[in-house]
This record gives sequence, structure tokens and C-alpha cells, in this order.
Amino acid sequence: MLKVGIVGTGTMGRTHAAAYTKLPSAQLVGFYDADQAFAGRVAPQFGAKVFESYDALLQQVDMVDLCTPTPTHLDLVLKAVSAGKHILCEKPLGRTLEQCEQMIEATSKAGVTLMPAQVLRFFPEFKQARDLVLAGAVGKPAAIRTRRGGPYPRAVNDWYADFEQSGGPILDMVIHDFDWLRWTFGEVERVFAKALTFKKLDHIDYALITLRLKSGAIAHVEANWADPGGFKVDFEIAGDAGMIAFDSRLAMPLTVAKQDAGGGGGGVAMPESPLAEDPYTLEIQHFVDSVLAGQKPSISAEDGMKAVEIALAAIESARTGKVIRLGGGA
Amino acid sequence: MAVRIGMMSFAHMHAYSYAHWVKQLEAQGKAVLVGVADDDAQRGQQVAQHYETRFFPSYEALLDAGVDAVIICSENIKHRPLTEMAAKAGKHVLCEKPLATTKADGKAMIEICRTNGVQLMTAFPCRFSPSYIRLKQMVQDSELGEVLAIRGTNRGRNPGGWFIVPELSGGGAVIDHTVHVTDLCRDLLGSEVVEVYAEIGNGFCHGNFDDTGMLTLTFANDVFATLDSSWSRPKVFPTWGDVTLQVVGTKGLVYMDMFAQNSTLYDDLNMRITLEHWGSSIDLGLVSAFVQSVQEGKPVPITGEDGLAAAEVAFAAYESAKRGEPVKLPLPD
Repeated sequence: MLKVGIVGTGTMGRTHAAAYTKLPSAQLVGFYDADQAFAGRVAPQFGAKVFESYDALLQQVDMVDLCTPTPTHLDLVLKAVSAGKHILCEKPLGRTLEQCEQMIEATSKAGVTLMPAQVLRFFPEFKQARDLVLAGAVGKPAAIRTRRGGPYPRAVNDWYADFEQSGGPILDMVIHDFDWLRWTFGEVERVFAKALTFKKLDHIDYALITLRLKSGAIAHVEANWADPGGFKVDFEIAGDAGMIAFDSRLAMPLTVAKQDAGGGGGGVAMPESPLAEDPYTLEIQHFVDSVLAGQKPSISAEDGMKAVEIALAAIESARTGKVIRLGGGA
Repeated sequence: MAVRIGMMSFAHMHAYSYAHWVKQLEAQGKAVLVGVADDDAQRGQQVAQHYETRFFPSYEALLDAGVDAVIICSENIKHRPLTEMAAKAGKHVLCEKPLATTKADGKAMIEICRTNGVQLMTAFPCRFSPSYIRLKQMVQDSELGEVLAIRGTNRGRNPGGWFIVPELSGGGAVIDHTVHVTDLCRDLLGSEVVEVYAEIGNGFCHGNFDDTGMLTLTFANDVFATLDSSWSRPKVFPTWGDVTLQVVGTKGLVYMDMFAQNSTLYDDLNMRITLEHWGSSIDLGLVSAFVQSVQEGKPVPITGEDGLAAAEVAFAAYESAKRGEPVKLPLPD
């Protein structure tokens, strides 16, 4: 039995909390959030308590689950390491590569586990696509397209709108796709991107990113925080012997229309589909099982850093107009 | 008076559709399909018979047969010599895209038509799509606010034949599939492309021609766009390909899938699933506009300059891929 503390009671903190309550091998002890009043309203929904400080929480748990804005990750990780606790950390792992490197160095020295929550690896449509690709179902992949996004995300203190904190949709959102692309098709050689990020528009951001992979395949990634029409995800993997295509709009087993429908919105838009095992629970179960068995989880902190590296390269390209080559590649 | 039209070459398959629509206009008394000339005499005779028109043994003979205008659907590399021949004979020209395979050829075509007082129109039928016309109206009416970014695709399959012989086509997928969406973007924005970056590959066919193109365009008005021009549709794909545009503006987003007006045919006889298109013919709009311009002596709606500007983006894409960096437009002459 692993005792768990969650830091952050926003959308992702609550999603993770719901997952822990389903796992017999984990016990959600409590939350810490700088907004104590809000945490006080959230915690009882999960039968958990609110800690007055992060240090107090660390004393009562075996692992922490960090669901806070990106720039806070480094300090929270380092404190957890000092206390000897394992860490599941929301993506992106860090705001900068240096932050990621510090986390990796500290956790490996202390022998605690740090897994970045690259949850896309547990989404069945993305996992299946990877399995099919590796089984040769499309032959050799040549052109890959992904699309992710919807309305501009709203959260506490509007922190997504602060580029210095969130990194915009390139770092905060399509890091999911960057990680999945790397996991499925291998390393990235170079990046070219255009983005609205630096135009400082009012709650509109959008980026189109082209990646050349070391395999020779070309990938196109859309990061969309400019679509009031709702959150959508799609991908297409075209190879020399076939193609896999997925569109979240077409994969909806349920459609409901209510006469008294009101407006929606609020929180981070997340892909939703009614599944017997939701991806967040699968991700958390994998982490908990790995820690309890003393094994390395399938997603390493280095994987988290590599995804950040691709995202930062795309941001750098969008900022400078230049092609960014990764890892000293040609 | 009906406009008398000659068809110069059926090397490009779009010729069949154009000939079909000229015949329809013939039935309405607006045009006459005078005849066909083709380097491939056998092909020329077959199509002449099919469209119940005359086959001429040479392009000169066709041009001497009292035509007002010609439609050129040769291999890309021959657009220039055939246009020059027609212009010198005083015939108006509707030329298949891409207008030319080099900037010098394109400029020469525009110049010879100007000096001979004939019109040169580039075959960009997507401009006549009712969906595109509606989209353009939304943009012009500022329904989307200020346009910020565009994501476009024009994907298809390797057509084979001369399309994959760079000496005849000028390249591969990029020269074939860059110009339509580039033209739509230019038309929509009223702004020129000032920079092109391209990743180009041959990962589908592994030939000595490109079959994958992922272009990033920057316009003078600071709008950016990407364009996937790949021949990436599998052999079993239920339709030929697509033309899509997603336009992002300050007030909203519009997505166009130009050829989405289909029903699905599940065909046990041929063991195939196909999309059967029932939307309006964009080729009819193209041919009608050309005929009408010639008839009324009005400027054609899509010029040789439009054709060259779009083709130049494809030339720049090849240059960008070669250099591994973005390329500025206009390219040097």
C-alpha cells in the first residue's frame, strides 16, 4: 500500500485523485494547495485531508503527485527527493532543460523514482497506433500529422496565459504529441515552427510545427488554443504500405443533445471517452505498481526532458524564424 | 458567338474533365470543341472520337483551324512551348497548373501572351468551389476577425507516368500539389508569400522524385500557413485525396474540407469502399469563367501572374529543402 499526497487541486489534481480512489494498492492521504480554501472544498470529495504545508504532507506519504503549474515542479521535486519520496510529476516535467536536468540528477542520486505524467502513452488510441506501427501495419512511416486543441484553457490565476509559466500550447499541450512521436517513431533531428505565441493576442494561441525525424519521416503537429468549437484530437500516420487515421470527433460512441443546454467552459480541456479503464488510472496504476515492485516505470525522467527539449526547440524556432537542430544532430 | 476551343494535349488527366465541360457548354451554345491535338497521336485520336470532335495531326493544324482559345494539358515542361505557339497564333490560353517548372519559363509565357494581345489563365479550379467562395466571403465580411494562420492540405496519390519523371514534371508531389492551396491562400489573404520552408521526402515511393512535402509559408501580412502536398493517400483510400483549409482568425476558426460532399459506396462487386462525390463541379466553374472572359473580352479571373506566384512557392520549397533553411521570396530571376 502506497500512501499518496497530491499537490494542486485543479483539474488534473482532481482527475488524479479520482484515479487513486480506484486503486487498492494506493491510499490518497491528502492534498496540499497554496489555495487552502479551495483545497478544503476539494479534499472531502475524495475522503482526504488538506495539509497546511507541503512539508507536512511529505511527512505523511510515500509518494507525491505534482499537479501544479510547470515552473513550480523543480522546487517540489527537490523537496520530495530530500524527504526520500517518489514523484509522479505532471507534464511538462520542467519549464527549462536545466530544471529537468536538476530533477534527474537529484532523483538518481537519491534513488527515488520520478515519472513524468506523459499520459498519452496510456490512451488506447495512441498506444494502439504505436503497436500497429511497430508491427509494420503501415510499412515504413513517411508522413505523420497530429492535431490537438480547442478553446483557450482557463485556470487559476489564468496561468496558462502567462508564457513564462506555461510555455504556451507548444510546451504545455503538444508536448503530449512530441513524447508520443518520439516513443513511436524515434528521435527528432530538426524542428521548424510558426506560432502566434509572441504576438501577445488576447487568449488566442496557435502553432504549426514541422519535425524531421532521424528515421527520415516528416511530422506535422498542430497546437490549437484558438478553436472555440471544442477540444479535438486527431492523428494520421501514413507509411509506404498503409495509413492509420484517428479523429476524436468520429470516435464518439455517445452523442447527447439537451433541450436546456447552457454554456460550458472552464478548466483545462481534456480528451474524454467512456472507457472501462480510463487512461489516467492506467498511468497512475503503472506508477504505483512500479514503485511497489521496485522497478523503473516505462516513462523515464529523461523521456520527460526529451519532450521538453523538442517543445523548447519549437518555441525557439517560432521566436527566431530559424531551423533548430536537436542534440547536435546534422 | 460561341467560343471556339482547341485542346492541346491530354497528357494531364484534368484534360478529360475540361473537355467534358466544354462539350456541355457546346450544348448550351456557349462554346465549341473544335478539336484535339496531341503528341500522343493514338491518345489524341481516342479522345477526339470519345468527345465527337476532330483530331488534328499537329498543334499547328489545330491552331490553323479557326480556334479562339486553347486549353493546354501537356506535361508541365511543355506548357511554355505550347503557350508560345498558341500566343503567336493569337489564341487565348487556359494552361493547366503548375504554370511552369521554372521562373524563367513562367515569365516568358506571361510576356509572350502580353505582346501578342492574348489572355493567359491558370487552371486553378478550386477558386470556383462553392465552399471556398463561402469561406472567402466570411473572411471578407470579417466574420473571423483578422486572419492569423492557415493550415492547408492537398494530398493525393502518386499519379505515376510523366508526373514522376522530373525532366517532364519539374519535380514530384511538391510541384504537383503546392500550387492549388497556395493560390487559395494568396487569394484569400490578398498578400504574397515572402518566405518558404519545406521538409521534402520520398518515403512513400522511394523513387528519384519527391512524394512528401510539408511546407511552411509566411505571407507579407505576417500570416503563416502550412501546406501538406504529399502523395500520402494509400492505394485503398476511398477517394483521390483532399483539399482542406483551416483558417484561424481573432474571432473564430473555419475549417473547409472542399470535397467532403460525398456518399459512401460499399461495393461488394469490386471489394472496395469509395466516396462518391456529389458536390458541384469546380471544373465547370473554371471552364465557364475562361469561356466567358474570352467571349466578353474581359480579363480572366486567374492570371498567368497568379499561376507563376503559386509555382514560385514550389520552386522555393525545393530550394529550401536543398539548403535546409527558409528561403525568401521573390526568388531571383
